[in-house]
Amino acid sequence: MRAINLMVPLVEYLNPGNTIKEAANLLRTARRDEERIGVKALPVLDENKELLGILSIGDILKSVYPPYMYLMELGEFAWDGMVEVLAKKAADKKVKELMTTEVITVREDSTLMECVDHMLKNNVKRVPVLNNENSVTGMLYEKDIFYEITRAMFNMEKP
Amino acid sequence: MTLETVTKAEVFFLNLPFWIATAIFIAAYALIVSEKIHKTVVALFAAGLMLVLKVLEQNEAFHVEEFGVDWNVIILLISMMVIINLMRPTGVFEYIAIKSAKLGKGKPFRIMVIFAIVTAVLSALLDNVTTVLLITPVTLLIADALDVDPVPYLLSCAFASNIGGTATLIGDPPNIMIASKAQLSFMDFIYNLTPIVIVLMVTYIVIIKLIWGKKLLTRDELKQRIMNMNEKEAIKDPVMLTKSIVVLGIVLTGFIFHGMLHFQPATVALFGAGLLLLLSRTHEPHHVLAEVEWPTIFFFMGLFIIVGGVVKVGLIKWMSLQILDLTQGNMFATSMVVMWFSAFASAIVDNIPYVATMNPLIVDMARQLWPDLSGVQLLQHPDLMPLWWSLALGACLGGNGSAIGASANVIVVGMSEKAGRRISFFKFMAYGMPIMIITVMISSVYIWLRYYVLGI
Repeated sequence: MRAINLMVPLVEYLNPGNTIKEAANLLRTARRDEERIGVKALPVLDENKELLGILSIGDILKSVYPPYMYLMELGEFAWDGMVEVLAKKAADKKVKELMTTEVITVREDSTLMECVDHMLKNNVKRVPVLNNENSVTGMLYEKDIFYEITRAMFNMEKP
Repeated sequence: MTLETVTKAEVFFLNLPFWIATAIFIAAYALIVSEKIHKTVVALFAAGLMLVLKVLEQNEAFHVEEFGVDWNVIILLISMMVIINLMRPTGVFEYIAIKSAKLGKGKPFRIMVIFAIVTAVLSALLDNVTTVLLITPVTLLIADALDVDPVPYLLSCAFASNIGGTATLIGDPPNIMIASKAQLSFMDFIYNLTPIVIVLMVTYIVIIKLIWGKKLLTRDELKQRIMNMNEKEAIKDPVMLTKSIVVLGIVLTGFIFHGMLHFQPATVALFGAGLLLLLSRTHEPHHVLAEVEWPTIFFFMGLFIIVGGVVKVGLIKWMSLQILDLTQGNMFATSMVVMWFSAFASAIVDNIPYVATMNPLIVDMARQLWPDLSGVQLLQHPDLMPLWWSLALGACLGGNGSAIGASANVIVVGMSEKAGRRISFFKFMAYGMPIMIITVMISSVYIWLRYYVLGI
């Protein structure tokens, strides 16, 4: 079993010039299997479908989080409505400003163990899958590897 | 007096070590100013060169006070950093900052003044960088709460920290270095510098009143956000906080009496750091020690060795002769030259390497003036004292002159940029340079009045 067999083929992705507002909307409504229930992260691609970064729900949270709050314990002193005000300010920021640019990827022909290795060592739950031309062809999710592991445990065939 | 000694100094020009040491010194300082390579890397490499090229013997660099590392400075810095690192998680600094904002009743300018005073007092007791790191995050939160421009608050914080740090022996690294070189006590600084710093702070508050007094506006409902904050929630570890306050009390008492008790300041600080570590019952001192700013510490060590090299070959002596020649041995003129030159130099160069160079230079000057004296009698000659104070005032207050004049400024500018409000080099200077010039002018009057007119 290799990455290409388990990945979800790429349908939706972001452009670096998208606003955070647009990105948040796509994250919220993106297709997951048959339903539009949203995804936790989307790859950011240029016009040649080459990978520039990845934008996750966590990055959206960071977009409203003031950097100075990392430096001291100030959470108790925030006020009701602070997140909402900062969310309005963050809405027009660009995806390229907030995306994670150092993305962990796998190749279509990567073995499953290689995928597990990358996910565990880098503490990521999803990885973009690249073909030989370095274009993103799909996303491989932790959950789909988990299903494959359970199938192996129960000696089940792939459906 | 100078002709004969100058001729003597010229002998130095003929030997190779003189030129090697001078070249290393100039190249290192140029690289530090250019910021092309990290200053610590430059300092350590240049120090290594001084040893490898036999300008200094290793023994001189490590064990001879005149040419090498001043361990009093190093241990004092490390110990104070350890104490602060142990105190930070208690939440005491968040408590102080939130309490200050509430004392300001949510009024923007009033908060600015209270923050300036708190920053100045903390800077006098801790180093400036630590203070700024502790105050600016809360400042930014308060500015967000009041929906006012954070930039004036950030600038004010940097300025107040540089002024306040001037007040005590432990307030700013230049003072630590000067104290160690001249064997001055904590109380010497309190008697000689704290009074003028109080005057400067009052002046500073008048200045910010004129600049920002009417510009910071907020709405009443936003003030309520500040008043709703409960500073008591900041305290995370009351037991450790009590221990910290006790130890800090011991350390401060130790500083006040160290002259009388014949302890060096580093002894007091090291004892405090050790005691607080013991009381913290930590089994993992690793992270407390890892948070010490080692790059700064190694920067100091490297600099001491570089300067030691140029002291040994006679460059510093030659420079001191030039200054004496210029001022014709008039001590008031020398004080003024030292203060104003220090102020402008510190606005351009980091004041730490600057003072590292000036310290031996002043000692050399004293040797030229009073060749028969030595030890404390030489270092604390009544006519020399105003020079030390001028150096301290110039080097510390000069830090306000530009965005790179002091480490505190660099941090404030960096934080402002992260908050999306870039403070340009010139914007900083537009406020900082006048403040520097005004404070140094007042200090000049103080030096003249106190030491040359009243003679106290």
